[in-house]
Parts: sequence; structure tokens; C-alpha cells
Amino acid sequence: MGRFSPWPWALAAVAVAFGVLGTVLNALAGSHGEPAWQWALAVVVMLASTGVGLLVAVRRPGHPIGWLLIANAFLLATFGVAQSYAAYALQEQPGALPGPEWAVLWDQSAWPLLFAVLIAIAFVFPDGRLPSPRWRRVALAATASLAAFLVLSFFDSEPFEAPYEHVDKPLPMLPGVFGWLWPLAFLGMLGGLVAGVQAVRVRFRSASGIERLQLKWLAYTAVLVPATLLVCLTGALATGSGDDGDIFTALFFFMLGAIPTSVGVAVLRYRLYEIDRVINRTLVYGVLTLMLAGAYAGITLVLGTGLGSGSAWPTAVATLLVAVAFRPLRGRVQDAVDRRFSRARYDARTRIVRFLEDLRAGRAAPEAVEPLLREVLSDPRLELRFFLPESELYVDARGRPADDQAEDSRVRTPITRAGLPLGIVLHSPVDEGRPGLLEEVVETAGLAIEIARLRVELRRQLHAVEASRARIVSAGYEERRRLERDLHDGAQQRLISIGLALRHAQHELGDSPEKAGESIDGAVREIDVAAGELQELARGVRPAQLDAGLTPALRELAARAPLPVQVNANGERFPQELEAAAYFIASEGLTNAVKHSEARQVTVSAELLNGKLAISITDDGIGGAAPNGGSGLRGLADRAAAHGGSLAIESEPDRGTVLTVELPCE
Amino acid sequence: MRVVIAEDQVLLREGLVRLFEDGGHEVVASLGDAEHLPAAVAGHRPDLVVLDVRMPPTFTDEGARAAKQIKEQHPELGVLVLSQHIETAHAVELVSQGGFGYLLKNRVLDVGAFLAAAERVAEGGSALDPQVVASLVSPGSAADDPLAALSAREREVLELMAEGLTNAGIANRLVLSERTVEAHVRSVLMKLSIPESGEAHRRVLAVLAHLTAAQT
Repeated sequence: MGRFSPWPWALAAVAVAFGVLGTVLNALAGSHGEPAWQWALAVVVMLASTGVGLLVAVRRPGHPIGWLLIANAFLLATFGVAQSYAAYALQEQPGALPGPEWAVLWDQSAWPLLFAVLIAIAFVFPDGRLPSPRWRRVALAATASLAAFLVLSFFDSEPFEAPYEHVDKPLPMLPGVFGWLWPLAFLGMLGGLVAGVQAVRVRFRSASGIERLQLKWLAYTAVLVPATLLVCLTGALATGSGDDGDIFTALFFFMLGAIPTSVGVAVLRYRLYEIDRVINRTLVYGVLTLMLAGAYAGITLVLGTGLGSGSAWPTAVATLLVAVAFRPLRGRVQDAVDRRFSRARYDARTRIVRFLEDLRAGRAAPEAVEPLLREVLSDPRLELRFFLPESELYVDARGRPADDQAEDSRVRTPITRAGLPLGIVLHSPVDEGRPGLLEEVVETAGLAIEIARLRVELRRQLHAVEASRARIVSAGYEERRRLERDLHDGAQQRLISIGLALRHAQHELGDSPEKAGESIDGAVREIDVAAGELQELARGVRPAQLDAGLTPALRELAARAPLPVQVNANGERFPQELEAAAYFIASEGLTNAVKHSEARQVTVSAELLNGKLAISITDDGIGGAAPNGGSGLRGLADRAAAHGGSLAIESEPDRGTVLTVELPCE
Repeated sequence: MRVVIAEDQVLLREGLVRLFEDGGHEVVASLGDAEHLPAAVAGHRPDLVVLDVRMPPTFTDEGARAAKQIKEQHPELGVLVLSQHIETAHAVELVSQGGFGYLLKNRVLDVGAFLAAAERVAEGGSALDPQVVASLVSPGSAADDPLAALSAREREVLELMAEGLTNAGIANRLVLSERTVEAHVRSVLMKLSIPESGEAHRRVLAVLAHLTAAQT
């Protein structure tokens, strides 16, 4: 930024002060002054030049463009003051102010200075230096001829122009012999202008990247002004309206304002990259206006001749046709302009539009959008990352979780559609010569990207469902295995040992019948235990209490738990399989709490909430249970998901655990 | 005979001990796991080891592995493996060695047959559970299955041969004369093209080899 320099501010302040002074004088000059609207435009232009110049001078101290723009504003202001001073002191109140002839002289003779500023800008734009050292001579020649022109202009022998032809000239007149210098000085000035244009062309030809864009901005305003004039002229001819003097004056001011603005944009690089879009839009709407105006004029002319003048019909028909033709015509013109002036952009968009058509017709897969983008943008390193809002994850085209930041030099550009994030593009740094191309291409391909994202999301969900299903199947298998073990190792063995005891008793009946009684008693006790074991096993398969309802089953579960368990349930009944699911979830949750939480008290609740059966297991233990920590909780989540429900865990360390499962009741 | 028992379930272990003692045998050691079995065998030099397939710590096949190990160290020792359920492949592999038995635990309730099988194994014979045999002897669907050529009686004889019974044992079980059994045995072996052999457990081997080959 550099240190603060008061000079630009001072000069700008002087320029503004001059502007104010000129405005006051113009107002005093009354009917002899300029019309108010023209004056207002001039002030706007002057302020624009001051503002942009000041901005450039402050932001880029040492860069001559800022000074040149402030100088431009300052010059404009002096002309304003000189003109209004002369009008007031010579026409409105003759003799009221001293030295009006000097004001007239400045107003009528110093105008080449304005061209000097413009030529200087063209010479040193955009980097503040001449295109090459050789240009110093050109610059010197231009300065010399300008100086000569100024001298000739100030010491001219001709009288002032109207309305001041009677005012005496304050400076001595040059002898007539110098008259031959006029054409030379004029040619010199013209040469300076041509050299300015040439300087820009030379630079443009060897420029690339940012500088090219900067030059485009300058060239754009330089070409826009005559082009606008042409359009207006055509329009005026077509509509047949007569006096256009005001329009041209307005355009002149517009040009004076446009140049500093585009120069400022270029040097400060603010919205620099939009020049291609600006040029594109200007071309499209310029051509469109010309075509529509031509059509309008043609129709009114032809119909007017046929129907006779004064009929409102031709105008109405022409307006209607022009209105109807606007949209399709704009598309055509846009295409033609793109094809001619932005080939890369046009090709890219055409390919993507064709791809979208193939996509709709089912000839292409949405996932092909990634390779297409790579190809269209000639960026083999380009990659898409899709955003999955549910899990807040970024995944690649295959649905694998992926980094949304590149570790290499690639750039990250977010993709949104209808305001929602779709994902991001990781791509090589954009070519500065093709600004906005990536954004445009990605925007055009938005539909395909969205579909690809949805498919990735769907595949992931499907995968999750499959995994959960596999876990349920495997849990079912484990359960059967456990049952088999319990039956083989428990009940079966016990029955065999009872059999053995009875055989022993049988044996004893021979020698010591009194002992046989004891053996049979032992066997009967064993049968009792075996029956208990079988009952317990059956409960593990499906508790018979569930027939009476979820609430009694939960109460029984609580009664058998090794710690105090409170049951909050109101006896409401639900479909059988839902009650069974709820029971096993509560049972598993309770087992977890007993095993892992070190709780002293557990509460199990089951209630109907918003059409869902909500089961929650709350303990006062150590907390810290993670949703995907153990197979137990995952099994619970799977069980819940199998019934279309969801599992939530609240488990801050040392704050106990609340496990809630909600099962939809249809 | 002198018996060592390894069974993790106390009640069943005690039942087995009493069973052998009631049958007039001497139980020299009863253990709750397979871990100390080799030491007990080496210390007591028993005639027979009876052990459960599933034992601590993993309750999968500790017993089976221990049985194999003991059999390698003491080939002359009879080993009788008891299982809660049938695993055909396992069973056949073990029984092929001779002096080996593989029975379901349920069989202990038929005290006479069980003790007979135990004695057979202790003497170097074989005892294969009838259920294993049944699964091997069930005729396949193939038209040329040689088992289909057997009569019902011949199949009964084949099953008992496979279980490891001697001709006398078969005659006793089927209430036939030994000579009739011999005739059946010859017929069976001929129909299945198995070379004849005097020793019961060799015969078992041949029959099993034939049956398992036919199964695959």
C-alpha cells in the first residue's frame, strides 16, 4: 500500500473545488450558462474521473494512471470554470468580474490538453511504463507537437469563436508567417493519437493473462463509444425522429466517463475478469437492438405505406412482432457471437448441452460428467467431490469418502444449485485468459452433477442398507448358534445326567434300594433345574410375557435385572412384531447399561410420540458411549433401521447415557 | 479296566464315573478339562480315556484335539470321544485309527451297549455312533449306487460292521447265529467289492473307506 501521500488528495480537492466554483458560476450565468442536465452530466464525469484517479493514486502510489486521471478531472473542472466565468462575466453581468478574456482564451485554446491526457494514458497503460524504451522518442515527438499546437492555439491570429468574436485577445498574435505551422502541428497531434492506439495494439499482441484483460477493458470503451454512436444513429434513422443533438451530447459525456472507469477497473483489477462477459453482452445486445430496430422500422414503413399514415396498426403489429421475436433471436445472436468471439466457451457449452440431451434420452450416464468436464476444460487433474448433506461428507464419484481439500496445487471451487451445495470441483488453477469458463461450464452441467450426486447418495444408502442387512443376518446366525450351544451344553447334558442318575438308581435297586430313592430324588431335582433352564432359553427366543403386552414384558425384564430398573409405560398395545422389536431393543439397551455403564439406576420408558413408539433407556452411569463404538449399539441401530426407525444416543462422559429408539407405528 | 474321564459338566462327569463303577470298572481319574489330560494319562496308564469334544476354554474342539494328541503319544490306548452332536467328517477321521470310539452322549443311557462299545475300544477295536453310520449308509440317488443292491438285513449288518461290532457282537445284537452273520458279511463285502479281513477294526476301516468314498 505504501505510505500515505497527501498530494493526490490535495489535487483532487482542488479539482472538486473548481467543479463547485464552476457550478456556482454556471448557475449565476442563468440562461447564458449550460443547460442544467448537461452540467450535471459533466460534473458526474468529472467526479468519476476524480474518484477513480484518487482510488488508483492511493492504492497504487507511483502509478502514473492515477495522476493522469486526477489531471483529467482537474482539466475538465478548469474548462467548466472558464466557460461559466466567461458566460457570467461577459454575457449575464458584463464587467462584473475581471479578466474574462483569459477565461475565454483557456476555454477555447487549451482543449488539446484533454487529448494529451488520453494519449498519455494510452502510452503508459496498464503498467505505468512506455511499451518499450524506443517509445520514448515517440512520446517526445507527441509532446513536442502538442506543445506546438498549444502555442499556435494560444497565440492564434483568428478572433474567438461565437459568441465571443468581439472580445479582445489578451495575448499577442503570431505573425501570419507561422500559419504554415498549423497543418504540421495538427498532423503531429493526429500522429500522437494514432501512436496511442498503436501502443495499445502492440501491447495487446504480446500480452497474456491479466495484462490482456486490462487492455481489453481499455479497448472496450474505446470501441464502445463509436459503436454506440452508430447504433443510436441507426436507431434515429430507423425511427425517423429528427433532432438528436442532445443524445450525442449525452453520449459524449458517457464516453468521457466510461474511459476513466474502465481504466480504473483495469488498473485496480476490480472485476477485471468480467471483461469477456461485458464484451459478449454488449455485442449480443448491440446486434439485437440493431436487428430489432431494423425490423421495427421495416414493418412500420411497409404497413404504413399500405394502410396510410396515421393508423395505429403498423406500430402495434411491429411492436408485437419485435416482442415475440426477442427471445428466440437473442438465443441465436448469443450463439453466433459465442461461436465467433468465444470459441472455447461456445464449444464447451455445446458439448455439455449435447451431453445433457444424451442424459435425458438415456444415452449417457450422469457419472460421465466428470470425465467430460476434464475434457472440456482440458484439465486432466479435475475431480468432483459430491456433498452428502445427511452425513455432511464429501465423496468421490464412486461414493468413497474423500478429502474436499486438494493436497496439491489444485484449486477448490464450490458448486451450488438453487442455493444448495452440490459439492466442489478440484481443478488446476484457471487459465487467466479464459476467466469464468469453469464456473459457466460447471453451472451448465449442474443438472448432470446433481443427478450424479443423487445417484452416489443412493448407492451409499443402498450400501449401508445392505451392510445392515448382512449384520442382521449374521446376528441372527449368531443368535441361533448361541441357542444351539445353550441347548446342547445345558438342557441336553442335564437330561443325560438325569438319565445316568436314574440308571444308577436302577443299579442300586438290586443291592441297596434305600439309596435308590435318594438317587431318584436327585434326578427329580435335576429335572426341575432343567425345566428352569429351558424356560430361560425360551424367554431368550421370545418372552411369553409379550403376549400380555409390551408393558408387562418390560416389567418382567426389569424385575430380573441385577440393578433397580424403573419402567415407564402405560400398557398401550402395538402390533406384535413392533412390541417384540421394542422389547429386544430395551433388553439389549438394558444389558449394555448393566455391562458397561456402572449405573446404579436405570429407567426404561416406552411411549407413543408423534405416531412413533419411542423406547428410551436412561442410566446414571459413566456415559461416553459412542454410536458406532461397539457391535451392541450397531446391532441396535440395525434393529431400529430394519423397522424403519432411528437410534439416538446422548452420552456425555460422567453424565449418564440416554439411548432412544423411535419406531414408526404406521 | 482302568478308565480316565474328562468332562467339564460336573453332574455328567459324576454320572459317568458311577456308570463305569456300576459296570465293575475302575475310574482312576476324572477331570474337568482337557488341559491336564496328558499328565493324567501318563501318570495312571489307563486302558481307556473317555472325553467330551467340547470343553473349556473355548468349547469348540478341545476334546477332539486332545484325543488326537493322546492317540499319537499312546497308540495302544483306547480313546472314546463323546459329543453332543454329530460331525461326520471328524468322526470318521478319528475312528479310522482303531482303538478309537466316537459316540453321541445320548448313548450312555443304553448302559449295556455303551459299556460294550467302551470295552471294545479299550481292546483296540472301534466304536462309531450308529447315527454317523446311518448318515454314511443312506443310499444315494445315483442309479449305480452299490448300497441299493443290499437287502434290508444286509444293510443292518453293514451298519453294525461300520459301528465296529464283531461278528459275534452283530449276531448278539440281531439275535442271529454267528454263521448267518458271517454269510451276510461275506455277501455285503462282495457286493461292495471290499476285500475280506478277519480283524473287526480293519473291516471297519475298509467299510468306512468305501462309504466315505461313495459319499463324495
